[in-house]
Amino acid sequence: MVSAAKVLQDLRASAERKPDVVVRLGKPLVESGAVRKLDADAWLVYEQVAIAALDTGDDALAQKCIQALEDKFPGSARVRRLHGMQLEADGKLTEAGEIYKAILNEDETNVLAAKRQVMLLRAMGLPSEAIGALVKYLDINYTDFEGWLQLADLYLDELMYAQAAFCMEEVLMLQPQNHIFHLKYAEILYTQENIPLALKQFCRVVELCKDHVRGLYGIKLCTSRLLNAAPSKSPAATSQEDLTAIDLLATERLIAVYGSGAAAAATKAVSTKWIENL
Amino acid sequence: MGAWTVLQERQAMLLDPAIRDWVLIPIMIVMVLVGVVRHQVTVLLNGTPKKADLKSARETKALQRGAILRAYGTHLPEHAFQARKVYLSEAFEKGTYLKDPNAGSKPKQNVMQDPAYVETMMDGMKKNMMNIIPQTVIMGWINFFFSGFVLIKLPFPLTIRFKSMLQRGIETNDMDVTWVSSLSWYFLNLFGLQSVFTLILGSGHAADAMRDMQAMSTMGMGAAAGPQMGPTGQPQDMQKIFLGEKENLELTEHEWGLDNVETRLLVKYGKKPRSVLVDYKKSKALAAAASSASHASSQAAAITASAAAGGSGRKKGKRQA
Repeated sequence: MVSAAKVLQDLRASAERKPDVVVRLGKPLVESGAVRKLDADAWLVYEQVAIAALDTGDDALAQKCIQALEDKFPGSARVRRLHGMQLEADGKLTEAGEIYKAILNEDETNVLAAKRQVMLLRAMGLPSEAIGALVKYLDINYTDFEGWLQLADLYLDELMYAQAAFCMEEVLMLQPQNHIFHLKYAEILYTQENIPLALKQFCRVVELCKDHVRGLYGIKLCTSRLLNAAPSKSPAATSQEDLTAIDLLATERLIAVYGSGAAAAATKAVSTKWIENL
Repeated sequence: MGAWTVLQERQAMLLDPAIRDWVLIPIMIVMVLVGVVRHQVTVLLNGTPKKADLKSARETKALQRGAILRAYGTHLPEHAFQARKVYLSEAFEKGTYLKDPNAGSKPKQNVMQDPAYVETMMDGMKKNMMNIIPQTVIMGWINFFFSGFVLIKLPFPLTIRFKSMLQRGIETNDMDVTWVSSLSWYFLNLFGLQSVFTLILGSGHAADAMRDMQAMSTMGMGAAAGPQMGPTGQPQDMQKIFLGEKENLELTEHEWGLDNVETRLLVKYGKKPRSVLVDYKKSKALAAAASSASHASSQAAAITASAAAGGSGRKKGKRQA
């Protein structure tokens, strides 16, 4: 029991969602009432389990958690947000929207409600309203890189690549060490036909994460296009000689990653398993 | 060794057990109880946390934005960096992010008429009173009833320097340092009960004497929720801070981290010797020096003047940041 509480606490600390794990560990805690022994942490566990239960569609468990929180903190904005999420899970989007609006009317700085509102608009199929709300939110909470990522996704859905690239640049400044974000930025640049810059970003991905296959494929795509095109006059562009070298390197690494005996066998095993489970 | 035993024997003082029962233990119990009561009263006084103001949050975040651009701008391509630099400089200059964009031109009003400021001040006062009053009362009580009492003898020897710490209120020159006076017992308790309170009240309690000391030195000014406070307790002029940040931004030169990323990658995989990177750095430094030299020859005077101005500006910005 103690270890379950510890795992849940670690998940909370690292802000991982993992609803399946949380429900599996949290359900016995909540149902046996053992959660009460955790003192002040109990309410955090209730909230965590409630959200996870909504994610996995365990409505009864969610209801139980939210009820317990409601009894302890009547009228709290955080519990009302959970109510809103419950309504969202039931598909009652308009009612959920009313709740978030009420919370924001009372306290305009409520970050949780503001975020829910954006996602609600997105779920309702109103991307431009969602973008508007998210831009307003990011104007204040500038350092929320997840917000910027979400905005980039929204723009990508609308095929607004320049704006999406801008958002990814902000993400890169806030989280420069994550190669996944560099990769996303590189792919947006490639889609924008900014091949020389995309090549550099793909190189950065592989530099940050050795043998990153998607990054290597990106490099390959860029170099093959740049080698076929007329050589660029710009001094910042990659030299012809480097292009060939990088192209060779990418090919070599891709063959090494996919071609080696062990890797090929592992890939085959994984794909066979996947197909069998289908 | 012999001298030590002699000293020990000479000072074989016998303390009345009544002192233990009626002075030593009561002082400790009273201090624990006062700490607990103070914690509860502080919780009561604190009441609801103050609501943060959306606009002041935006103000702080905007400043952060400038700092982040300066620190991590190397990860952006040239065009992206320049666009942001121009935008932010302009916004800071015009005060787009200020809580009250028009406040800059107005003469500064009396801070005492700013309700937010007065509220923070009152809050600090209340907390300070909560700290000072009980401590003063207990100290007075001990001084009045038990001054000059020797309460305990430490079981280990100490050097003479501890005398002022352990025998406050007893002016005898040759008493052994291991004897502890009542007033010193109070001070030992004041600082030593910390972990006892943590046991009783959980971490983050308000009975902490050390925190009182800090609170007294800063006069209890919590800058978190209220208006921005300078070290003097005066609200700071955000306009000036923004202008400083703008200067900092304009002085920042963009150096793109991906300039030679292909070469770095080739070196990483061992396709090129490591010396290539060193050569690259050298050639870059040379180029920079050459360009500045050519500038210098043409308009040396202008450059030095502007550099001096920039230097002083940066200093100013640093201080404000």
